[in-house]
Amino acid sequence: MDAIETTNVTRKFNGLVAVAGIDLKIRKGELFSLLGPNGAGKTTLVRMLCCLLRPTAGTAFIMGHDITKESFKVKGLIGVSPQDTVLSERLNCWENLSLVGKMHRISSEEVRECSKELLQTMGLMERAGEQVKNFSGGMKRRLSIAMSLVHDPAVLFLDEPTLGLDPQARRAVWEHIALLKKEKTILLTTHYMEEADSLSDRIGIIDEGKIVALGTPEELKRDFFTGCGMVIRAEDIPVGIMQELCGRYARVERINGGVEISHGELDFHEVVEYLFSRGVIVSSATLKQPTLEDVFIQITGKKLRE
Amino acid sequence: MRFWEIGKRNLKEIYRNPVLLGFLLGMPVVFMLVFCSAFGQGTVEPVRLSVVDEDQSQASAAFVESLERIEVVELWGEVYSEEAWAKEDMEAGRISLYLLIPRGFQDAAAAGQSVDLGVVYEGADPMAGLRVKPVLEAAGSQFLGMPAPVNVEMKGVESKIENEIVNFFAPGIIVFGLMILISVTAEVIAADREKGFLARMLTTPAKPWEFILGYSLPFIPVLIASTLIYLGVGMAMGLTIVGNLGHAFLIFFLTGLSAVGIGMIVGSLIKSESQAAICWVFIVPLAMISGAWWTVEAMPQGLQNFAGGLPFIHAINASRSVINGVPLSAVMGDLYWLVAWAVVLFSLGIVFFSKRMVG
Ligand SMILES: Nc1ncnc2c1ncn2[C@@H]1O[C@H](COP(=O)(O)OP(=O)(O)OP(=O)(O)O)[C@@H](O)[C@H]1O
Ligand SMILES: [Mg+2]
Repeated sequence: MDAIETTNVTRKFNGLVAVAGIDLKIRKGELFSLLGPNGAGKTTLVRMLCCLLRPTAGTAFIMGHDITKESFKVKGLIGVSPQDTVLSERLNCWENLSLVGKMHRISSEEVRECSKELLQTMGLMERAGEQVKNFSGGMKRRLSIAMSLVHDPAVLFLDEPTLGLDPQARRAVWEHIALLKKEKTILLTTHYMEEADSLSDRIGIIDEGKIVALGTPEELKRDFFTGCGMVIRAEDIPVGIMQELCGRYARVERINGGVEISHGELDFHEVVEYLFSRGVIVSSATLKQPTLEDVFIQITGKKLRE
Repeated sequence: MRFWEIGKRNLKEIYRNPVLLGFLLGMPVVFMLVFCSAFGQGTVEPVRLSVVDEDQSQASAAFVESLERIEVVELWGEVYSEEAWAKEDMEAGRISLYLLIPRGFQDAAAAGQSVDLGVVYEGADPMAGLRVKPVLEAAGSQFLGMPAPVNVEMKGVESKIENEIVNFFAPGIIVFGLMILISVTAEVIAADREKGFLARMLTTPAKPWEFILGYSLPFIPVLIASTLIYLGVGMAMGLTIVGNLGHAFLIFFLTGLSAVGIGMIVGSLIKSESQAAICWVFIVPLAMISGAWWTVEAMPQGLQNFAGGLPFIHAINASRSVINGVPLSAVMGDLYWLVAWAVVLFSLGIVFFSKRMVG
């Protein structure tokens, strides 16, 4: 039995198709990332799997339980960190965590133990006794993630868990998620390529409500990125030359201290020669490893927001 | 007990919110203070009351005699034996208000049954009618409640009412004050829905009834506190509780439950906190037709019947009677009505809430 199995799950909003018949099987203990541009349908899919939205067609099973017919069984198994941070603003960290724990009928001692651990991991211990309404966005976010974990759920939904966190906090969350791998099934949505790349067992790229690519990060990079790219370090490339480059190659992007070029077939020498001939001093030129971002752009034709 | 935990959370959200708490507890104080200062202080001229005694019995005569001892009432002119004569005098402007003691008064008194006493007043002075109504109600029920009317000790029982205007209107004011809980409870649920907190809670296995109970529970202490404030401030300002204070409290408590129940339904249906304003579209008319600010007797019969189907007119009638000394057993009909409404409203709340659990 798979931990999450969807069959043709579909959701329309007055004609707008947010999720267009997704079939997905996520194994127990797998960490699966959903990658997609804004409005791709990630949150809508997650909300259906959490029994908050009714599918217009199709259905899904969480640990073998139908989300439409056995919603209370499903709810007993899942932990959810919603995209928008929502907390009970006038409660402190302990009380917020305990509320979720109690909804799952966890004993007070267990809740306390588990909360302690989570607050430590999330770096919230010092201010755990304060009403959370005065917390910063990042602190709220971290508590929100902790709330999805306090009852030790078998299946975890993390909708953009690291949105709005500083790099240090993001790393702490990633480390914690990495620890949970294997033990739990995790469905994560994100727009941080690094996050998806390093954490996921498999990635599904979703666009306009459909899964358009599916595989391990390596598979995706291998199978879907056909072109090649290079990174050129050069001082002050004039605007005119940038425009000419844009005319010649599929994707040209100015980066700090140089330019990044991608094209179906790229002659390394030709590019460098051309730049030389225009009087640009090239200090280095390297071939670029394909990244998930490249794969993503190739498949969807869109950039992920950053 | 999930509902208990949800209730605890909601109670904390309320008592840690000084503005909301201030509103919930401050409003009854202000409400009652303003009302009682407006009507509670001025010296009141006695009302000139004429009597039509159709029964012409020992009991009715004793009853009329007992009325003489009421301070706020001045018996005026002779006692008529037929209503037609009193009407004639009223048309001629000689009297403005009369009490009608119907035939069968003595038999009813002997059998321990209640009798409808009529009060007829001149259109030009409606306040006079309103003022004597609670006094006569209290006097009548007190009188009829005794097994042997002829020997009744009536000394000063009715004159306990210091200010019959306050006694008449206070129950309506309190019921209206409690009706405001409709919008507050609706707001509390809707705010959680709007912010997404409810959605988060809905990903846990808590059941609809646990949510409805969890969201109503914190209003129980609020309800108790505000009812006590209403009664306390009222009593300090001239409201006289002739009857049983506990019974009056019970009636107001049930009224508040109905208000919270309606709030739960509205809160389950609306999407945002600001939409809770729609509550006022029916709170105010509901208060009007239930007689919160005036007597409903002047309303068209159809409207009276309609209001009679709703809980609040029963709340006002029952609390007014009990405050003025009528025993609880005499208002059981109203009381059952209130209990039935509370049950119906909470059940509907659960139904509507579960319908809105999945989007
Ligand atoms: N309640 C709703 N009513 C109407 N349309 C909705 C509703 N929820 C989502 N949609 C629409 O469904 C589409 C998918 O939205 P969704 O929130 O699932 O995207 P997403 O992939 O999570 O995007 P993001 O990365 O911005 O979070 C969007 O076009 C959105 O406008
Ligand atoms: Mg989203």
